[in-house]
Amino acid sequence: MSEAAALPPGEHPARGADPHLAHHFSSLERQVDASRLGMWLFLCTEVLLFAGLFTGYAVYRYSFPIAFAASARTSEIWAGTLNTVVLITSSLTVALAIHFVRTGRQRAAVVCLLITLAFALTFLGIKAIEYTAHFHEHQLPGRYYRFEGVRLPGASMYWALYFLMTGLHGLHVLIGMSVLGVIAWRTSRGYYTPHYYVGIELAGLYWHLVDLIWIFLFPLLYLI
Amino acid sequence: MAENGEHHSALPYFLVWVALLILTVTTYVTGRMHLGTWALPLAMIIAVTKSLLVILFFMHLWEQKGANRIVIATSFVFVALIISLTVADVATRFPLSTPAGAPFGTDIPAELEETAPEYQPPAGKIGEPPRGVPQPK
Repeated sequence: MSEAAALPPGEHPARGADPHLAHHFSSLERQVDASRLGMWLFLCTEVLLFAGLFTGYAVYRYSFPIAFAASARTSEIWAGTLNTVVLITSSLTVALAIHFVRTGRQRAAVVCLLITLAFALTFLGIKAIEYTAHFHEHQLPGRYYRFEGVRLPGASMYWALYFLMTGLHGLHVLIGMSVLGVIAWRTSRGYYTPHYYVGIELAGLYWHLVDLIWIFLFPLLYLI
Repeated sequence: MAENGEHHSALPYFLVWVALLILTVTTYVTGRMHLGTWALPLAMIIAVTKSLLVILFFMHLWEQKGANRIVIATSFVFVALIISLTVADVATRFPLSTPAGAPFGTDIPAELEETAPEYQPPAGKIGEPPRGVPQPK
């Protein structure tokens, strides 16, 4: 057990055995299990939040199948594909960061987390290029839709859903970046050890969820 | 957890990553082939396979306790319920009460691609209400 690790707030000094153990848990194992269960419950609420948007997509795709297929073909497919590769690779680097903390290589873990942040920035950069192109082409929701390429009723609904879904996903990328930044800083300070790394694990879970949602957004919005 | 810390190998993560990349290429290639009715089911099968890989191995659900598995499985049941029941509602309505269009289909009919429909987007600048369209008072 690393004695140099910073004491978390609320720690009871008299227990002494483990600086990470909060006073209301009988053992570190129970504390970690509770944290994991809480994170999975939170991820469920996130899945259901996006499920509402996916339902909207399903309904309007059912109503306007041709407009949706035609609009998807005018989206920036190269950017969507590249962003899929970027997010999948960033998921790998997060998983590797957890692996390195587990095996006691904190420095490698910090490097992996920083690479993940770089991938996240790349994702947002590509997304910004895409948004700029769509604004330029007037591929916009509602009455702002002026795109000459697809003149079908329902095409503006595709772009409304496109901006809602990718926008909410982009917000999650930003939140994930902040969480990973804090975790990288704490890892570099030696807060996590091979015996206690649940914080970095939960941050990783959040980042994988961001990847997971994109895995469904990519074919629905860009390909079919 | 700590008990499997020392003998943990990073190789499975790279294998999962390669599998995800292969599936991404597959979904890209099949998505551009205009498979018609089969495009949506195929893309969803690939996406579900990819998400299972991420959940089981990157998110370590494979080695988690039962409670966490039940939690995520329950959320997927509710996702399936909300999407299938809502689409079933829309699909079984009186045809004239739904927006123009047919049930799921992904290929643009040839006649639509050749000649643009009569609908013309109203001219005007972004931010201004289009001319000739009645505005709500």
